[in-house]
Amino acid sequence: MKLDPAFIWEAFIKLLAAIPTTLEITAVSVGCGFVIGIVTALARIYRVPVLREISSAYVTFIRGTPMLTHLLMVMFGLPIAIDALSGALGLSFSSVQVPMIGFAYVAFSLTAGAYMSEVVRSGLLAVNRGQIEAAYAVGMTTWQALRRIVFPQAFASALPNLSNSLIGMLHGSTLAFTASVVEINAKAQIVASTNWKFFESYIAAALIFWGLTIVIERLTALLEKRVARYDRGGVA
Amino acid sequence: MIALKEIRKSFGRHEVLKGIDLEVEKGEVVAILGPSGSGKTTLLRCINYLERPGSGRIRIGDVAVDCGHPSKKEIHRLRGRSAMVFQQYHLFRHKTALQNVMEGLVVVQNVPKEEARQRSVELLEKVGLGAKLDAYPSQLSGGQQQRVGIARALALNPDVILFDEPTSALDPELVGEVLAVIRKIAREGITMIIVTHEMAFAQEVASRIVFMDDGAVIEEGAASEFFRSPREERTRQFLRRMTPEAVYNI
Repeated sequence: MKLDPAFIWEAFIKLLAAIPTTLEITAVSVGCGFVIGIVTALARIYRVPVLREISSAYVTFIRGTPMLTHLLMVMFGLPIAIDALSGALGLSFSSVQVPMIGFAYVAFSLTAGAYMSEVVRSGLLAVNRGQIEAAYAVGMTTWQALRRIVFPQAFASALPNLSNSLIGMLHGSTLAFTASVVEINAKAQIVASTNWKFFESYIAAALIFWGLTIVIERLTALLEKRVARYDRGGVA
Repeated sequence: MIALKEIRKSFGRHEVLKGIDLEVEKGEVVAILGPSGSGKTTLLRCINYLERPGSGRIRIGDVAVDCGHPSKKEIHRLRGRSAMVFQQYHLFRHKTALQNVMEGLVVVQNVPKEEARQRSVELLEKVGLGAKLDAYPSQLSGGQQQRVGIARALALNPDVILFDEPTSALDPELVGEVLAVIRKIAREGITMIIVTHEMAFAQEVASRIVFMDDGAVIEEGAASEFFRSPREERTRQFLRRMTPEAVYNI
């Protein structure tokens, strides 16, 4: 076996078509995960009864089990729930009508939510208590204080970790292949299945993931410059 | 104007405020003195409900709150009547000096932006920071930050400004500029309650002194009287420890 550089390029071009699917899965899971993360983090910090216990259990369970397991459980569990619900309500809707990528969206959103809950929580805890006291002293309501004073600072300090989560979910989206979703890595396998040049094909996939990751890193750096402009702290 | 009745507060089993009564008239400058742990900062923080009193009544202007079961709305209205200057400044870190002063006007008092900006610029000029409008707190010295904090409090046009040891966190050479600003606004007839360790400053700027120890008011009186002839033994002890002889003249 000899490396076939020309096929790396050929595979690379073919894999480009799968980028939107990968980005969609990543964007949906990180977007929904961020919302879940904010809600569960606030529930835990503000010790909201019931919601707090549910949030804690959710975070420890999801972080305590592999991402692939989440996908499998959603893939096999959700249809049962959907069909039972649909039957109970007398609807004609069946779980077969749900596209497979939908299960990936749900499963990975749950995965991302648990990790991002911790990211959001650490961001919120990094904001000095005096900031919210000052906001209260100025006459703000709790919501105004959170929105105007706490969230912007929490976001700035959580940004490096948020970027980490985003990259993690980008790479994790490859697991969607298990749900027959053709994202970049799955496409690489398919592309090579005719000529068995898997190595070349996976190199092409790696290059694409690397490229996407570099874009995320650059964007984060730009954003960081903008939102953390007020703070020239740190040890450097 | 301001009336505190029977304010009690405990942290766990430890009772820090043992039924405090205090009245402050409009335009008065009241300094609260006392050894550390006497409850003076806690009392000050109770006035705008940053600390939740166990029981008692608080009235500022026409807002009265029964500390037993205040509603969120009552607390919010009470806070609207006062402003606070913190020991650690607590400027909004992600906002410039100008934005810090404008924030309350725009967000809480719904003053139109242009008007808020104009008033804020004037106030920052008044505290000597007209050249630092766009500086972030991290780019300002402690003294400058505290002066922004005072401008932020003034902007709200509150019934009373609460000062929580406004110079305690400052380097000695920066204390003067902050005290000068407080002195200046005290002369304008703004009602102030100041918790401080600066004896000479309290004597000069306050019209009345309240001396606290162990969660209770031990003695209060006109500033001139208080330093010249303290009535209580505990007050005398405190003053002997705290002040150079020049201030403590019996």
